Amino acid sequence: MSAEAEFAPSRFSSVERSDRPAGNITAAALRFGSLIAFTAILIVFSITAPYFLSVVNIGNVLGQSAISGVLAIGLTIVLIAGGSNVVTGGIDLSLAANMGLSAAVYASLTQLGYGDVAAITASILTGSLIGLVNAIAVVYAGIVPLLATLAVMNIVSGLELVLTGNTVIPASTPCLSALSASDAFGIPILAYVLIGFTVFATAIVQYTPLGLRLYAVGEFPDAARAAGLPLRRLLAGAFIASGVCGGLSGILSVSYLSGSTTGSGEMLLPVVVTALLGSVFSRRLVPTITGTLLSALLVGFLGNGFQLLNILSTLVSGVQGLLILIVVSATTLLRRQEA
Amino acid sequence: MTVIPLKQPSTVQQDIIRLEGIVKGFGSAQALAGASLVVRRGTIHGLVGQNGAGKSTLIKLLAGLHQPDSGRIEIEGQTFDRLTPHLVEELGIHFIHQDRLLIPTFTVGEALFLGREPRIPGTPFLDRRLMQRRAADLLNDYFGVLLPNTALISDLSTAEKQIVQITRALLNQPKVLVFDEPTAALVRREADILFRLIRRLRDEGVTIIYISHYLNEIEDLCDHVTVLRSGQDVASLPIAETSAAAIARLMVERDIQDMFPKPAVALGDELLKIEKLSAPGKYEDVSFTLRRGEVLGLTGLLGSGAKELVRTLFGLEKPASGRIDIGGRAVHFSNPTQATSSKVALVPEDRRRHGVALDLSVKENTSLSSLDRFTRFGFLDRKSEQRDVDALIARLQVKASGRDALLRTLSGGNQQKVAIAKWLSRHSEVYLLDEPTVGVDIGSKVEIYTLIGELAARGAGALVLSSDLPELIGISDRILVFFRGRIVREFKSSETTADKVLAESTGSPEGQRHVS
Repeated sequence: MSAEAEFAPSRFSSVERSDRPAGNITAAALRFGSLIAFTAILIVFSITAPYFLSVVNIGNVLGQSAISGVLAIGLTIVLIAGGSNVVTGGIDLSLAANMGLSAAVYASLTQLGYGDVAAITASILTGSLIGLVNAIAVVYAGIVPLLATLAVMNIVSGLELVLTGNTVIPASTPCLSALSASDAFGIPILAYVLIGFTVFATAIVQYTPLGLRLYAVGEFPDAARAAGLPLRRLLAGAFIASGVCGGLSGILSVSYLSGSTTGSGEMLLPVVVTALLGSVFSRRLVPTITGTLLSALLVGFLGNGFQLLNILSTLVSGVQGLLILIVVSATTLLRRQEA
Repeated sequence: MTVIPLKQPSTVQQDIIRLEGIVKGFGSAQALAGASLVVRRGTIHGLVGQNGAGKSTLIKLLAGLHQPDSGRIEIEGQTFDRLTPHLVEELGIHFIHQDRLLIPTFTVGEALFLGREPRIPGTPFLDRRLMQRRAADLLNDYFGVLLPNTALISDLSTAEKQIVQITRALLNQPKVLVFDEPTAALVRREADILFRLIRRLRDEGVTIIYISHYLNEIEDLCDHVTVLRSGQDVASLPIAETSAAAIARLMVERDIQDMFPKPAVALGDELLKIEKLSAPGKYEDVSFTLRRGEVLGLTGLLGSGAKELVRTLFGLEKPASGRIDIGGRAVHFSNPTQATSSKVALVPEDRRRHGVALDLSVKENTSLSSLDRFTRFGFLDRKSEQRDVDALIARLQVKASGRDALLRTLSGGNQQKVAIAKWLSRHSEVYLLDEPTVGVDIGSKVEIYTLIGELAARGAGALVLSSDLPELIGISDRILVFFRGRIVREFKSSETTADKVLAESTGSPEGQRHVS
């Protein structure tokens, strides 16, 4: 009878064990390899470009990474709760467009004479609404995240075009100026925002039961269900949280660029790289908030170093693409070995 | 726990679980046809039955995952119309599933406490240290196992994972624990640890329901046993009044006899010869021959290696050592394409996923893998394709509205006939049939048996892997029994009985128990 599964194809258990040490060594190599590669890049740049390791430059990189960093943290949450399978797992392709629309909403409202509080509220609301639409499409309509968020991305960038007429909308408010300023040491305030947000997100994702449950849902839904966790609500929550990150980075981008500009979609690739790359910085090879911060900085330092060395900035995108290939193939191979 | 018969409070029932007259059907197939399971408090209750007897369905019903069509459910003296997983948990019934539901990248502590994580008092944060300490204490207390604090689930052995899962269930302070084939993946020593624990839990007052194919385990461990057959409980008795052999007989007795029309076929040349084939952890040192006109039965429990062997013969897995000869020539398959070109055919167990394409027509399914036979100068010769397909449909008595009917619209038995027809169309010679009659109605079963007999009569050889032993005995010439990776016994089908074969495949041959 088909209800019985005793003779269903299955792994023979004693085989697992012999694979384990090899998997561990590869995992360790990948993990430490990534850290070593990170430091190697820092060392090479600091030797060839003396200015590279100065406090101001590091602050600048942090500041410049703030927008993509916050977006990548949002994406990381979706990766955690949706599972890190790139095709069928969690992904939010609408994040960059989300940032663009949230920024446009902010800038438009200030143009209309609204204050910072209203504009901030509206941006965050915009972001969370986009997250909600994603959540409904993925969790309740059951569309694969890759497709659902791709569709939402198109809708959102369409809305942005309608709102801005494909032009730059300048914005200047007290809050924006405060965000884009630097402190007494020449370190951008945005750098502190990134650090602060990372600490906040880390506390929730890595140190609360909620975070642990997000991992459970993403990695092994059946186990999460058996533990009585509300799968749909957790996954929907992750998409909404990611949407909020999109709204937040919209505000940061308005302050950084003194207005809303077109072309937010170009952020998508770096953000996906950053979030996927993040998992090689964790012991368990899973996406983590701190890992994402590290990889955001790695991507930031790469671009910054290339600039200081006068290497064509067009190469940066190629290097990023290469990084995705390496990370995804390495983790896929590892997972296959463990499966 | 001491039981004082007369002074027992009226609220405490002797029988903690009473499932009575449970009927449950899936589509046209009836999984349970009035099955009952009555479990006495504080005992270890064995539940046995062959594949398809309804064990899994009954347990899923108890878990609240299926709802019965009719029947009575009484737990702790309370009658329920329907059970939900949540309600079952509240009643204190917990399950140790066959597939280990643990998250590979979690630490042991995280895996144990997922869903009821301790927090650092006064904060919203996880108390990881407490989780680790309590995890270590619990594992040490129940199993005497010391695991490093930082161990991840993926680092653990199968037995250790199972220990973690049992501990997870114990955290709920269960009243009833249901073990579903817990030893299928354990070695003897690990199984012994598990048995000690199960006895200790019983002595502490936990009621155990124990499902296993290994009848000697049932005999050693259980206080009481219920035997299911064809969706009904055929016996429920104290273990003291029975034996593994008697249980085996109860499991396989059949009402319908003579449904296996195996024609007498003179055996021809050697078609397939396997010598000392080994794949560590799957099967070891397997040797046998298959001759033209022969139907050779293979049987064994999950993990016995029989299934893996069949997969190897079709190029889906690679052996580590040994030799496969087909028609006198050594072959090395690294993929199914090579196997099919050596005229090997596989009719897989899961036909809906691997055997047929549900959204293609009967014609397409039949001719798809042999299209080159109907191709003239690069184009498809539709006429000859249709002629061939029509002839096959008629010969196999496929009941379909026509050659253009979609497979989806056919019954299970007719889908299976098409899966076989596909290979007939290719003129295959070595047929590997994996559970060919699973989920097939009786009428179609007989037609499939006839078909297998015809294959043999036409000079092909068939290797039939089946856990339906009366079926296997009826249609085959010889039967090879696999147990833990090896062929432990060869039977002549005409000289054996289902309970003898079952006893061998469950590791409890008569007069020689405790085989490890």
